Amino acid sequence: MTMAKEALGPAAAARRRSRSRQGALAPGRKGRPWTFYVLAAIFTLYVVALYGPMISIYILSFQDIRGGLVFPMKGLSLHWFNDLFTQVRTGDVKGSFDRSIKLAGLVTVITVVVSFLAGLAFRRRFFGDTVIFYLMIGSLVAPGLVLGIGTGLLFNWLGLETAWYTSALGAQLSWTLPFGVLVMFAVMSRFNKAWEEAARDLGATPWQTIRLVIIPILAPGLVAVALFGFTLSYDEFARTLQTSGSLNTLPLEIWSMTLNVTSPSLYALGTVTTIVSFLIIGIGLGSITLIQKRRARGGAAGH
Amino acid sequence: MTLRRHLTSWLFLSPLLVVLIPFFVLPFIVVLTASFFDSDGFGGLLPTFTLVNYANLFTSSLTLNLYLATLKFTVLTWFFSLILGFLVAYFLAFHVRNPLLGIGLFLLCTVPFWTSNIIRMISWIPLLGKEGLINMALLKLGLIHEPLEILLFSSVAVVIAYVHQLTIFMIVPIFNSMARIDKRVVEAALDAGASRLDIMRLIVIPMSKSGIALGSIFVVSIVMGDFFVVKVMSGGGSASVVGAFYEDISVLQYPSAAASAVVLTVALMVLIGLILRTVDIRREITR
Amino acid sequence: MATGQGHIELAGLCKSYDGVTMAVDGVNLKIEDGAYCCFLGPSGCGKTTILRMIAGHEDPSAGEILIGGENVVGMAPVERRTAMMFQSYALFPHLTVRDNIAFALRVRGLSKAERNKAADAMIEKVRLTEFADRLPAQLSGGQQQRVALARAAITQPRVLLLDEPLSALDEQLRVQMRQELLRMQRDLGITFIHVTHTQMEAIALADMVVVMDRGHIKQAGPAREVYATPRDRYVAEFLGGQNVLAAKVRTVAGGRAVVASPTVREIEVPLAGRSFSAGDAIEFAVRRDDIVLKRPGPDAVAPDTAALSSRVTGVEYQGSFVKVMLDALGREDFIAYVPERTFFRDPVAIGDVVLATWPVEHAHLLA
Repeated sequence: MTMAKEALGPAAAARRRSRSRQGALAPGRKGRPWTFYVLAAIFTLYVVALYGPMISIYILSFQDIRGGLVFPMKGLSLHWFNDLFTQVRTGDVKGSFDRSIKLAGLVTVITVVVSFLAGLAFRRRFFGDTVIFYLMIGSLVAPGLVLGIGTGLLFNWLGLETAWYTSALGAQLSWTLPFGVLVMFAVMSRFNKAWEEAARDLGATPWQTIRLVIIPILAPGLVAVALFGFTLSYDEFARTLQTSGSLNTLPLEIWSMTLNVTSPSLYALGTVTTIVSFLIIGIGLGSITLIQKRRARGGAAGH
Repeated sequence: MTLRRHLTSWLFLSPLLVVLIPFFVLPFIVVLTASFFDSDGFGGLLPTFTLVNYANLFTSSLTLNLYLATLKFTVLTWFFSLILGFLVAYFLAFHVRNPLLGIGLFLLCTVPFWTSNIIRMISWIPLLGKEGLINMALLKLGLIHEPLEILLFSSVAVVIAYVHQLTIFMIVPIFNSMARIDKRVVEAALDAGASRLDIMRLIVIPMSKSGIALGSIFVVSIVMGDFFVVKVMSGGGSASVVGAFYEDISVLQYPSAAASAVVLTVALMVLIGLILRTVDIRREITR
Repeated sequence: MATGQGHIELAGLCKSYDGVTMAVDGVNLKIEDGAYCCFLGPSGCGKTTILRMIAGHEDPSAGEILIGGENVVGMAPVERRTAMMFQSYALFPHLTVRDNIAFALRVRGLSKAERNKAADAMIEKVRLTEFADRLPAQLSGGQQQRVALARAAITQPRVLLLDEPLSALDEQLRVQMRQELLRMQRDLGITFIHVTHTQMEAIALADMVVVMDRGHIKQAGPAREVYATPRDRYVAEFLGGQNVLAAKVRTVAGGRAVVASPTVREIEVPLAGRSFSAGDAIEFAVRRDDIVLKRPGPDAVAPDTAALSSRVTGVEYQGSFVKVMLDALGREDFIAYVPERTFFRDPVAIGDVVLATWPVEHAHLLA
């Protein structure tokens, strides 16, 4: 539960704040009003629609060799997974998968560090802060494909080769960083400035304050930024399309498969990438829980 | 001393600028520049200054159709995701009484966000297709006699895929604003004799405004900048501004593509600017 | 000049955040080494700003701050050898009690063994030994306050600065922790500067009370002096326990003036060596516990006694005394604190007409 609280940042914080008055949830102090049932039904339908299609392709990816893109299942097999990693027809899945993970790792590290520093800077007003803020918003909302092509052309004009670890890295950062900084804003808004002053009062240098006070306190929020950085990069398509050079990343590979491949290996790929996504979510949320647990354990010894 | 403070802030921001300038500002300038260039017809650019690309753009009836198509998808997606997102957020914020359950349900809504968009879109194919689950079910029930073709590779499919992907962008910010509403305010309104409709109209909606604005920014900018969903889910039947841009690029028509991109980006920025005028999102986020 | 380590002098101290309004406006003050000094005033009066300037968390716009005879303006907090206890404590939420207290030693590069030894000694001093491994969130308010105190004290500061240290506690604990603070101050033998907006807290703790209003010091002195002989209406009203009367001088004779106002008939006021002439406006204060209520009668007023005829408008039982509200000054409060036993010998009720009397010498002339 604690992990969820931290991962959700402001939402959870607000929720926690309102917990003390949960008894006061107004419309429905006496029994549930009819709106509750209507909304609960809508919510349930939404969740079913959210997960239903995904679950169906996970099931279909275990389709028998005779089976097609739709139900019914003609039997269970791992044929399409095998197909995915062996067939030339489906392209370089393994290589692109490899690149995507490496790229996402790079993007994650850079996003966490840069967003953290920007978050520190944005805690107070300074000359030009609004310009930078809108620059970030602009970078966030600009059409990704247009920026990707601009980046590709820029590299071309400068006589540089586009590659996934240069131009695509930068193009993805222009999308993950504004996101990361916005998350950082929400995380920072819960940081009490008095902690920093107390550290200074006790003789900590600015660097010691960051290392011993700010980073440990914000750690769960930083993990959340990392989680954003990783998944946004791992799924990024539009900005990467024209900047990745001659070698594909995984979403680009999937894209070309959707245009060429009409077999359940497409679903198998979906299943594999989703497993990776869930692993990353698990690692992210797990490490947040671990941080919280360790803190709680530090406290438990005194009981 | 204050000067030093400003400099420190800029120092901490410099890594951000090191990324945003070469990968956002410069690429946009490049596209802007290219939009005034002439094409040699073989994919090369002739560095001249011409407005012919813009002239072609604004005189072509194709442009208008493209923009109308994109606008149609934007408005439909925005509308449905707003309604759905608002209702889901309202349910989570006001009707779920157990906070633990609330966080659990909220997580349930957010998890798919962390998985691949493309995969989530493809996953509609076995459901909506001619031999998909929905058609099969309807046939079995005897409600239809022929499979419905309109479900997949149509505008309906495009909107379904968008709403499926983007409602989460509405839920999170709206839920955030709603969670901040002091429930005692609602109680006070009830005590004052307000009806459920009054509470919605006078308290919940005005106080969720910032969340609605933030969600709208995400949804509008993503739909307007997208071409992938339209291309795959409409089966090539519908076009979009960015889709046409991509086609132009693949036939090396850089200048006209660039002009179209500039117009789209400006239109998008104006739209976002209008939304931003209604709410100070920086203050909202840092609050 | 022989000044102690913890002797503090503020000279012409000013602070303005926006260059227009002055949060602190020309403050001059000397605080003795080893004194317990309380800054008292409503929120926004500049008391916390002064504290933060002494601590080094704000820079003064003008003026000097001398600690132990040395101007510390521009120095970092550590160099000043001051330590601050923050409002609501600012304990590091991720560190245990021991690590919080040892923080200052950690950043000075002491080894883990050394700093834990020192921290444990300090933990014992504040009687938190069994809580040493807990996190701040797992402590009660009073325990958190002791951690904050220990964390600040471990740096062996010459001045400890406390920003509203008791405001996060409930009433009962607040009274207990006052004693804790005094004990700690005696143990450490250093100067304490304590900022508060609660009069009771200030006069209970302080050797020296500094009353502030809108960036200025209104009065500074020993608690009893400030309470019993306030300098002006502001101090009298802020510290409470006084009735403030305004009137015009009719005649002056024998060091006393006969004064009157639209609501007050002729009353004698001692002039404490100051000179006035007929027609001057003066203000004076009479302590609420100096008022004796009498039923009207031929011999109700003794010589050298001032008396106001008034009607009882309210009675509040307070336990050890009874608070009687009177309409003697029209719309302004006029209150008598009657000892409990005295009151119930002849209780008055709302609407009764009484004489509020006090010995003339007990009236205190205000500036």
